[in-house]
Amino acid sequence: MKNALGREIPERIGNRSVEPFAGAFVTKRTGRKAARPQKWSAPRENKVLPSLEAAIEATGLKDGMTISFHHSFREGDRVINQVVDACARAGLKNLRLFPTALFPTHAKLVDHIQAGVVNRIEGSMNGPVGAFISQGGKLAEPGTLRSHGGRWRAIEAGDVAIDVAFVAASQADPYGNANGINGRTPCGPIGFCRVDAQYARKTVVVTNDLVPYPAYPFEIEQGWTDYVVEVDEVGDPAQIASGTLEMTRSPARLRIARLAAEAVRASPYFKEGLSFQGGAGGISLAATMYLALEMEKAKIVGSFVMGGGTKIMVDMLHKGLVRAILDGQAFDPTAVASIREDPAHVMMDPGLYANYDSRGCSTYLLDAAFLGATEVDLDFNVNVNTHSDGRLLHGIGGHQDVAAGAKMTLITAPSIRGRLPVILDRVTTVTTPGEVIDVIVTERGLAVNPKRQDLKDSLLSAGLPVRDLAEMKEEADRLVRPLGRPVFADEVIAAIEWRDGTVIDVVRKVEGWE
Amino acid sequence: MQNETMAGSDAKGDCRVAVAPTRALSVEVKTEDPELFERGIREVVEEALSQLGKVKGAVSVVDQGALNYVLAARVETAVRAAFPDLSPLSPRVKRQQTGRDAPRRSRLYAPGNSPRLLVGIELHGADCVLLDLEDSVPPAEKAAARVLVKHLLAAIDFPGEVWVRINPLDLGGRDDLPEVLRGRPHGVALPKAESEGDVAALSRELASLEKSLDVPVGTTLVMPILETAQGILHAEEIAAADPRVAVLAFGAEDFTRDVGARRTPESLLFARSMLVATAKAAGIQASDTVYADVENEKGLLAEATLARDLGFDGKGAIHPAQIGPLHAVFSPSEKELEEARKVVAAAEDAQRRGIGAIAIGGKMIDRPVLERARRALYLADHLARRDSR
Repeated sequence: MKNALGREIPERIGNRSVEPFAGAFVTKRTGRKAARPQKWSAPRENKVLPSLEAAIEATGLKDGMTISFHHSFREGDRVINQVVDACARAGLKNLRLFPTALFPTHAKLVDHIQAGVVNRIEGSMNGPVGAFISQGGKLAEPGTLRSHGGRWRAIEAGDVAIDVAFVAASQADPYGNANGINGRTPCGPIGFCRVDAQYARKTVVVTNDLVPYPAYPFEIEQGWTDYVVEVDEVGDPAQIASGTLEMTRSPARLRIARLAAEAVRASPYFKEGLSFQGGAGGISLAATMYLALEMEKAKIVGSFVMGGGTKIMVDMLHKGLVRAILDGQAFDPTAVASIREDPAHVMMDPGLYANYDSRGCSTYLLDAAFLGATEVDLDFNVNVNTHSDGRLLHGIGGHQDVAAGAKMTLITAPSIRGRLPVILDRVTTVTTPGEVIDVIVTERGLAVNPKRQDLKDSLLSAGLPVRDLAEMKEEADRLVRPLGRPVFADEVIAAIEWRDGTVIDVVRKVEGWE
Repeated sequence: MQNETMAGSDAKGDCRVAVAPTRALSVEVKTEDPELFERGIREVVEEALSQLGKVKGAVSVVDQGALNYVLAARVETAVRAAFPDLSPLSPRVKRQQTGRDAPRRSRLYAPGNSPRLLVGIELHGADCVLLDLEDSVPPAEKAAARVLVKHLLAAIDFPGEVWVRINPLDLGGRDDLPEVLRGRPHGVALPKAESEGDVAALSRELASLEKSLDVPVGTTLVMPILETAQGILHAEEIAAADPRVAVLAFGAEDFTRDVGARRTPESLLFARSMLVATAKAAGIQASDTVYADVENEKGLLAEATLARDLGFDGKGAIHPAQIGPLHAVFSPSEKELEEARKVVAAAEDAQRRGIGAIAIGGKMIDRPVLERARRALYLADHLARRDSR
């Protein structure tokens, strides 16, 4: 069947029946949410277990079950590998992994997949694991990629039942309260797994800093936690800033960032109380910095900036350019320290900022957002999941949630990367539909979604280089085309869920080349 | 292998092409992600080879994300090194002429030997991009750079002007010209110009190349760069040497070295003033030297303001971040434009009424004031049209 974007979607994927994507805000559910089993506990119960092996035994983890993790330690995470190693030693097979994201540090999982310890991954299959699976590595079922909010929604709806949630925490107490901002190796908010900890059949807090009761703030609460395990290492905070978090120095990319910030300045939203999302990625960081300069010049104070917390945002808070930071995950140590010290630097979880089935998301109150793209197309659709050769590359992150919510969503991307064109007739995979994208910014200029004539007029009257997306595409194509095109098999390796649980696209196995 | 020739490098955005003469033509391509890129690379390489003529050799390409024009340039360089009798490629070029008096508030230098630094150089809004074959290109890379610059010129549609700084004629400039003229730059910058003879010699070369390339003779402009004591003292004859000369540029680094000065605003005052006066006497533009400290925007603004106050029309830039500040300094302000509109309106009114003298509110307007007003309006109009692109 075809969904609302004309993407061919199978009616069943693995053993789930598929609801096709119908539009960004079409689905309206009225049922009841799922819940975990009820459990009583005796006063002063001891929850501390001596090892991960003991926790595996105590939770009753068996072959074929689902275990979940959060990614707040990012590339520095040491818990996923430790837990899966322990599962392997315990002789477990066919586990389903349900992480919020994976990183290159988890390359070792490929060995566990090949050995049969893990046979399914539900969630972002990025990095080495994504490459392994795209290149023919076998999983028992296709995975499902969800946004931050989409994952939260799926757990609440009971679409994914978690058997054991393993919560990495830089500090915890013996009664199961835990957080990520204190302790010897703080990583920042661990709110991603607050839903796991509340919905999993069993919840295990894993920490390297077990302190006497109470460990606070209560990001993870005693009432959700079954067991607590102390280990030597949960993660290396120095590596939370790895990867895409360095400010760009390339003149072309700085130009994109500057154009994006100038577009926001030229929009009707640039006024007292401005709210915006400043993402990761070199261009988004620079755009945030330029926008801060514009706000300073115009002497306006923003209501809030949200995103993964960065030093740039903290500097804005200290300069009085925004009233608050809403922070879902820390991207550098400055952000972690700021959360501890400044009540206006507020931790939040995806249930608060991104959940479709909720009574309010912070992203819905955003004026502007800077987001990246691997590919964009002439319908303004965005792909952040697959490389143009069909390989699964990245998870969705908060892309869909933020794009859907913000009044002005700007995609910042160079028109070419090496010999790879970024503007296509049709993206390889749709992550986020064009209906929620307002402006695409490349080093060649700004393209405004035709349905936003109002915005186009604002940018034009500010003298910004507003251009036709097709024209920018043609210019870039001349420098790099022609390009090989993959031919896809019918076999689906992953479903891309829209944040409401419908399927917006699927990733198919690459069969050959045109 | 014997007689193997090479061009390019393993730097990001470049490629390395090797050619070994053999009995038959073969092409081997190595690239990251061959499924995506090999087909395109092969097509570009084979097209360049067929245009070059009957090439019999083993051609191998190791790609690091080179754009099509870089690939074509590297193939041409390596093949012509192996077969010196082949004539240069003449890629198709579409280029809109500009005038001698086109706005040149900024002239952005870019090293002609670095594909990575040249990518997107046309996108930063410079009035004039200056592709450099002189100081930024080491001697061993001159031959490859002039071919790369030619292909870049042909491939890119510049929103403003694009010029090439060649080497002094006797130090490679004569070899630069036949390549780069095939890319139809708006003009050629001549470094270390010291006499009427230097410019005349360049002009003769240009005329003969224009003729042989079927380009209207005299359309390639010239920007002598005065950067020695001799150059400054002979500014007048240099400016008047040829109608192609559209702008005199000042080069402070070499000038201070040549006269033994230290670079301060005061120490350069004579040279700058001399250059401006000469240029204006000849009815052409004056462009100030570059400001080397990219991080120091305040310093740039101060030096640009000084240059503008002296009468310069623009200034060199070595980084795209310098363009915005330069344009802010060298553009007519809203107040100046308002004044200019009044002056021009008064002149038109006077002409309609057949009065010789122009006056606003009883105050007489001199001819130079009228001309400066027209210039400001022309600039503003020109820039508005460019910015709406």
